[in-house]
Amino acid sequence: MDAVLEVHGLRKRFVRRGHVVQANAGVDLRVAPGQVVGLLGHNGAGKTTLVNQVVGLTRPDSGTVRVCGADAVARPDLARRLVSVQAQANVPITGLTPARAVELVGRIRGARPAVARHRTSELLESLDLMPWARTPAEKVSGGVARLTAFAMTAVAPGRLVVLDEPTNDVDPVRRRLLWAQIRRLADEGSGVLLVTHNVREAERVVDRLVVLDQGRVLADETPAAITARRGGTLTLELDLAPGRHPMTPDGLVLVDRGRLRATAAVPAAHAAAAVQWASDELAAGRLERYALAPASLEDVYVELVGEGSGDGAAASAAGAADEATEVAA
Amino acid sequence: MTTTTAAPATLSTALTTPRVSALRQLPLLLRWQARRMASALPLLVLVQILLSVATVIGYGLLVGQPAPAEALYLATGAPTVSLVMVGLVMTPQLVVQSRTEGSADWMRTLPVPRELFLAADLLVWTLIALPGVVLGVLAGVLRFHVHLAPSWWLLPTALVVSLTAAAVGYAMAWLLPGTIAQLMSQVLVFVVLLFSPVSFPADRMPVWLQHAHHWLPIEPMAEAVRAGLAPGSFTVPGRSVAVLLTWCVVCVAGAAFALRRRA
Repeated sequence: MDAVLEVHGLRKRFVRRGHVVQANAGVDLRVAPGQVVGLLGHNGAGKTTLVNQVVGLTRPDSGTVRVCGADAVARPDLARRLVSVQAQANVPITGLTPARAVELVGRIRGARPAVARHRTSELLESLDLMPWARTPAEKVSGGVARLTAFAMTAVAPGRLVVLDEPTNDVDPVRRRLLWAQIRRLADEGSGVLLVTHNVREAERVVDRLVVLDQGRVLADETPAAITARRGGTLTLELDLAPGRHPMTPDGLVLVDRGRLRATAAVPAAHAAAAVQWASDELAAGRLERYALAPASLEDVYVELVGEGSGDGAAASAAGAADEATEVAA
Repeated sequence: MTTTTAAPATLSTALTTPRVSALRQLPLLLRWQARRMASALPLLVLVQILLSVATVIGYGLLVGQPAPAEALYLATGAPTVSLVMVGLVMTPQLVVQSRTEGSADWMRTLPVPRELFLAADLLVWTLIALPGVVLGVLAGVLRFHVHLAPSWWLLPTALVVSLTAAAVGYAMAWLLPGTIAQLMSQVLVFVVLLFSPVSFPADRMPVWLQHAHHWLPIEPMAEAVRAGLAPGSFTVPGRSVAVLLTWCVVCVAGAAFALRRRA
């Protein structure tokens, strides 16, 4: 199947206050139609720079960006017809109501009036936004504004839909409705590139995850494949009883997490024994609660990114300097 | 990977790829802009009216009871001042604001030709300036008892003047850092109000400044509007028309370049 987005060897650096920042250092990425691809990475990992290059707001130093096969660097106008974007910052729509803004954007994007109107009410209903549909935008909450921005992006979706932190400020109930709509966009043929920090929730929706750190792709796999990196290790979570110490068997190393909490890594083969031990300790009153959980994507993500990034600014400045010499050479 | 399923009618028909005609997009953009500015609109128009009328009355206070020729200069200079003000002051302020709040960059992700943003903004701002221009002219007629005979080509002239000034403001706001752009616009106001032959004849200025104004767009703007308002008393030299049109083309191209520019 032809990709809706194909990024290859993308490099972009900026000079900010005298420092060279390598925002993208050779990024490869592919989104197929019908796929939701999660783009994970902490602040400054290069996610927004990547998005800006896809829609021609920023010009790459080198590398290619193809949207449905079209060269997005040479023809940004074509890319913009094929891509719809929800920006990281909420677009102020003071003076408009959510319904009017969504419908107007749909029509600007080329939807016929009847289609734009129908799609608008469909989206506002699906996201439970009808109570605010006719409220002036300056009077709605941050969460409603965020969902409105999503609806503005999804009303006449491009072949590629880019969502930059769509769940920010959204309440848990509506967040589920939002995830369903995101999934629906992909199920109905668009490719979705989902930029997020929300590792836990993204895990359930995405088909593939791309982890970006310091402008480089650290991993590009299914969520299951990424968690499988932990090699079948489970995590035993314990709530300790105040003033009591559990008696640990050989081979089980408790890591103190503070405030009467502890964890231990348990190989899958020893899971049954670990549970038996924990229930005995619970019966003896030395534990208040225990849980055996698979290694979460969040744990793996933190491990993956944590190793590389060290202490933020210093590390990335050094990385950027290396990059600069590399580029110059 | 999920396979593509057949899309229900609404979503699949909403999926966009075709080019949307600019003629269909322009009114939609105008609606977007007008609604976004709706709450500030009455105030903006009012400020324009006040500015335009105050220019006439304020200059009147400075010069007392002017001779008929001077009075005609004052009355026919006021509309140029308000058109130029909208372009050089309001345009950069609103563009800088929308850049700071992030809406400008998001709007640029829409499949809209860059020139269309410029056209929509210019139309909105020209309409905002219009009541002020008309009332400024009326104030001049009443205050200085001059006779004006506006000709049909005053309207296209006003549009060219407005377009040129707004394009300068637009390019400035997109190419310079926000604070510098706003500072520049303040300086330009000062130059236009006091050191340009708009409300007084050019020969009152030092020779070097007269020469400078031969190449700047302000004097041709004033000449064109004046000749449109009182064709019996003033004419526009062909050279001024050429200078003004050149500035217009260069500034609009510059503004379009600024909008197309990629970081």
